Amino acid sequence: MRRGGAWLTFLLTGCNGYQNAMGGDGAEGANFIQLFSVFMVVCTIMYVIVAAALLFALWRRRSAALVVEDRKHHQTSALVRPALFAWTALIGAGLVALTIASFFTDRSNAAEGSKPQLILTVTANQWWWDVEYNLPDVSRTVRTANEIHLPVGIPAEVTLKSNDVIHSFWIPNLAGKQDLIPGRQTDAQLLPRKIGLYRGQCAEFCGTQHAQMALDVTVESKEDFLRWYAAQLKPAVAPANPQQHAGYRYFTTRECASCHNISGTPASGQVAPDLTHFASRRSLAAGALPMNRGNVYGWVADPQSLKPGSRMPTVGLKADELHSLVAYLETLK
Amino acid sequence: MSLRFRNSLLALGLVAALTGCDREQRQTRGKPLAETVPASTSPDTVFPGNANVPPSDPRAAVYEGNATAISEGQRLYNWMNCSGCHFHGGGGMGVALIDDKWRYGGRIDQIAATIVEGRPNGMPSFRGRLTEQQVWQLAAYVRTLSGQARKDAVSARADEVSNTPPQTQTKREPLTPADSAEQ
Amino acid sequence: MRRSTVAIVAVIAVLLVAALLFWTSRQNSGPDLSTKQFAGPSSNKVIPARSASPPDDGNWTMPGKDYASTRFSALNQVTPANVGKLQVAFTFSTGTTEGFEAPPLVVNNTMYVVAPWPNNVFALDLTKPGAPAKWTYEPKPAAAAKGVACCGPVNRGAFYSNGRLFMNLLDGHTVAIDAESGKEIWRTKLADINKGETMTMAPLVAEGKVLVGNSGGEMGVRGWLAALDAGSGKLAWRAYSTGPDKDALIGSQYRAPYPSDQGKDLGVKSWGPEQWKIGGGTVWGWISYDPDLKLIYYGTGNPGPWNAEQRPGDNKWTAGLFARDVSTGQARWFHQGAPHDLFDHDDINETILVDWPAPNGQRIPALLRPSRNGYLYVQDRRNGRILSADPYGYINAYKGVDLKTGRVIPATDKEPKTGRVVRNICPGPPGMKDWNPSAFSPVTGLLYIPHINICMDMGAKNANYIPGTPFVGADVKMYAGPGGNRGVFTAWDPVARRKVFEIKEDLPLWSPALATAGGLVFYGTMDGWLKAIDGRSGKLLWQFKTGSGIIGQPISYRGPDGRQYIAVPSGVGGWAGAIVSADIDERDPTAALGFANATKDLKKRTTKGGTVYVFALPQ
Repeated sequence: MRRGGAWLTFLLTGCNGYQNAMGGDGAEGANFIQLFSVFMVVCTIMYVIVAAALLFALWRRRSAALVVEDRKHHQTSALVRPALFAWTALIGAGLVALTIASFFTDRSNAAEGSKPQLILTVTANQWWWDVEYNLPDVSRTVRTANEIHLPVGIPAEVTLKSNDVIHSFWIPNLAGKQDLIPGRQTDAQLLPRKIGLYRGQCAEFCGTQHAQMALDVTVESKEDFLRWYAAQLKPAVAPANPQQHAGYRYFTTRECASCHNISGTPASGQVAPDLTHFASRRSLAAGALPMNRGNVYGWVADPQSLKPGSRMPTVGLKADELHSLVAYLETLK
Repeated sequence: MSLRFRNSLLALGLVAALTGCDREQRQTRGKPLAETVPASTSPDTVFPGNANVPPSDPRAAVYEGNATAISEGQRLYNWMNCSGCHFHGGGGMGVALIDDKWRYGGRIDQIAATIVEGRPNGMPSFRGRLTEQQVWQLAAYVRTLSGQARKDAVSARADEVSNTPPQTQTKREPLTPADSAEQ
Repeated sequence: MRRSTVAIVAVIAVLLVAALLFWTSRQNSGPDLSTKQFAGPSSNKVIPARSASPPDDGNWTMPGKDYASTRFSALNQVTPANVGKLQVAFTFSTGTTEGFEAPPLVVNNTMYVVAPWPNNVFALDLTKPGAPAKWTYEPKPAAAAKGVACCGPVNRGAFYSNGRLFMNLLDGHTVAIDAESGKEIWRTKLADINKGETMTMAPLVAEGKVLVGNSGGEMGVRGWLAALDAGSGKLAWRAYSTGPDKDALIGSQYRAPYPSDQGKDLGVKSWGPEQWKIGGGTVWGWISYDPDLKLIYYGTGNPGPWNAEQRPGDNKWTAGLFARDVSTGQARWFHQGAPHDLFDHDDINETILVDWPAPNGQRIPALLRPSRNGYLYVQDRRNGRILSADPYGYINAYKGVDLKTGRVIPATDKEPKTGRVVRNICPGPPGMKDWNPSAFSPVTGLLYIPHINICMDMGAKNANYIPGTPFVGADVKMYAGPGGNRGVFTAWDPVARRKVFEIKEDLPLWSPALATAGGLVFYGTMDGWLKAIDGRSGKLLWQFKTGSGIIGQPISYRGPDGRQYIAVPSGVGGWAGAIVSADIDERDPTAALGFANATKDLKKRTTKGGTVYVFALPQ
């Protein structure tokens, strides 16, 4: 019973709703599942036939094999030739069926991705995602980090770039993987079909913290998306009380501003995640930790113990500096 | 025991010994100390009567020639805009770092002090803008620009428009100490 | 006809067409620079704008000689016939060895020498033999400013007006000095070196306003032009080069000549959010002034960072030419020479104000603009409409200028991309011509342009912004363009729109030009030769090797004894000469923003200096 229980858990680990390659919540994902089913059916049939033939060959009495070569020509069974023809025809038919299914899947993916209405640029860094929404009006660009919001049913095209090594962009529920290669631009098409929260992951080993390089994907209705976008366009909330002011002062004059950007403040570093609306995100450190006060404290105080090797240094803050910084960061909704 | 068994045991032991050899420690956290480089590090000065010469900073041994520190320093050199003034060591707004002329001292602790304090002819002060560990990583990298570090510690290539030979091929020149205490 | 005849005729026709296509394609692949002399100048001449170029009194009171920026001296004692006898009259050493760009000013028999950092000014008494100094002014600007001056701690000159000298200090102050005594009258702080700002340009004083601008386009600085009251030094107005219309002083008077420059708050809308605050557009070059229209003309610098992928949009109002009302600063028109600049093609070059002969016989108030992007624009200076735009060197970064929209047509294969190296982009970052201004001679009707022939490889990378540090995002390597010569001296006929002659120079030409009524043109080379050429033919008539490379303005004045003198500052430096003045190591080709590779041999050919040489004919 215990062994059976273990196997069951093993089977179920691949089936989290929010990071599930068989989720089929996006157009490409759904197409993939359809194609996968066709392949499974055809290949299962072929497998069963081959297995049956093998078993038959093993089981058949071996008496004929003990006959020594007696220099006489023995006619082969009358069934062999038609059987070979039938078998080849079956294989041919199966392959043709798979090719046709694959062709139609590709065509469907291409058609759905051909007229994107939303354009994003995702730049992968070690070990976080820089997400930018590109509108024709460049002054309404939104820049965020480690999260993507998508309106349901609207095709989006994601331009993929990398600032350092090869990463891979993978939101299992929505679509397949696409590499982000430094010095090149690749792209991926996303057409989410179901509202929900999903998780994306870097799928190409990219260094020490490859395992903690995740993406929060939120698929929502068009109205919710526009509301979120309008909120993201606003510059950062100004500090309201002395403690937040102290945090703001520390952030904009000390180490934080050397790397991070908060719109509307003098901090304009370009090499680390944009923190303008940091507190509105579901997780921090690229999905490593859920967003809550304790984790923010822990991350700001000592990121190297939570994500060792990541680019954010442990600063060695004093207690009051830590309190004011977290107080300020929590206002950045 | 049989010959084959003994040889296999020896081979296994050799492999275990080699893999157990950590060549260097990778320090991800550094020591969160107070953010100053000791004031006793002086660029180049006269110590009257050779007295009161400050001792060597213990951190120099930790960071000097440490491959992780050098590679982090290489990244920070671009991120913190050192390359904007010093380029890839040739200089511009800032002095050249690939030659053997040092205005303010070329030891790793002197370079770290220069980064933290700034210098009178335009080197900005990065005190409070970089952590102490980042400063020492940068100083370790700057030392490699003029060939001061071991060949197996420096980066073998850089992805940039530079077309200078890789640092592993840079001529290793010993530093002429500018500090009068060392002469 | 027989089939074979038809075939033969068809083959010949095809060969003829092929030959024609081949010949025309060679024409369009870039100007043919191999011949030295082209057709002679046209007879229908351009003349300098009259109100902006008064008759020459033998003095040199402003860097451009006059408000029209002609850099033309009406003195004609030295001619092609006797220039061979030109000899040194006296020299003066400033004691500094940074790049020496400022022209000496001569007023009331006093020569004012303006040195690069530490920006000392010397007043030399020309009536006494050897021109000893009457006074020295030592402003003591902060040495730390040298760390944020991208291209040498230079100074492009002072301006004499009403008994005062006006100049900028490297650390961001503008000062007024009494010309008689050398005492400082006022000092106004305008720029902050902790943000990466410096001031290097020469002011222009007109209608009681001192017009000055900042430097720092490579440091993430927001550019501006300010007007100070000449009497008190108080700020009268400041026009920013980026940001909302109220900061850029764009109001009801503004009419852009082309639709893409007209709109509300384009200085915000043509950038990503907040990027205009660190967007560049510094005003570090030349200003011309039309006293009739009461308009000043000046260009804005490059947008920041150099990596254009980080700043989508047209990036107004950087890399373009502004016309503003001198008293209020309100913009009249703007034309962007490099929208969404990809190659550091600032637009701060000089504009020479001329009266242009229109086809119907009338004269159009116009300006000549040898732009950094390689096109020589002739524009109507009342409204900015382009009358012509022609390349004056080899360009492959742009395909041409669309005269309907006024925009350059970019060559998409030369667009730099982050993480990649794009090779062989011409012209490179210093452009077809950098800051060093040309001279216009009304005698020959030609524009004399000292410029460069430099291409680059550019690798773009993600630039990080830390105030007071560079905000560039590019690794650049420069080298000579087609032909192998790094410098070119061009004589251009603005009416016929072509070169009349051209002189190839091995080293880049970084010195301004001087034209004289005697029919001579003077310019200096980076290894120290001051050259005099015939203004009509380009023939070299005289040259003299000074102690250091010449990157400063030669001038001509009438001395107390009535003789014509030629004076030139000699002291290599600036961006092109940084390898010598900043002791750069040439083993790193990306040093000095890529110029180290283009001037690798300069250390062998010249050394640092800081001396004014003055020449005259023997008595």
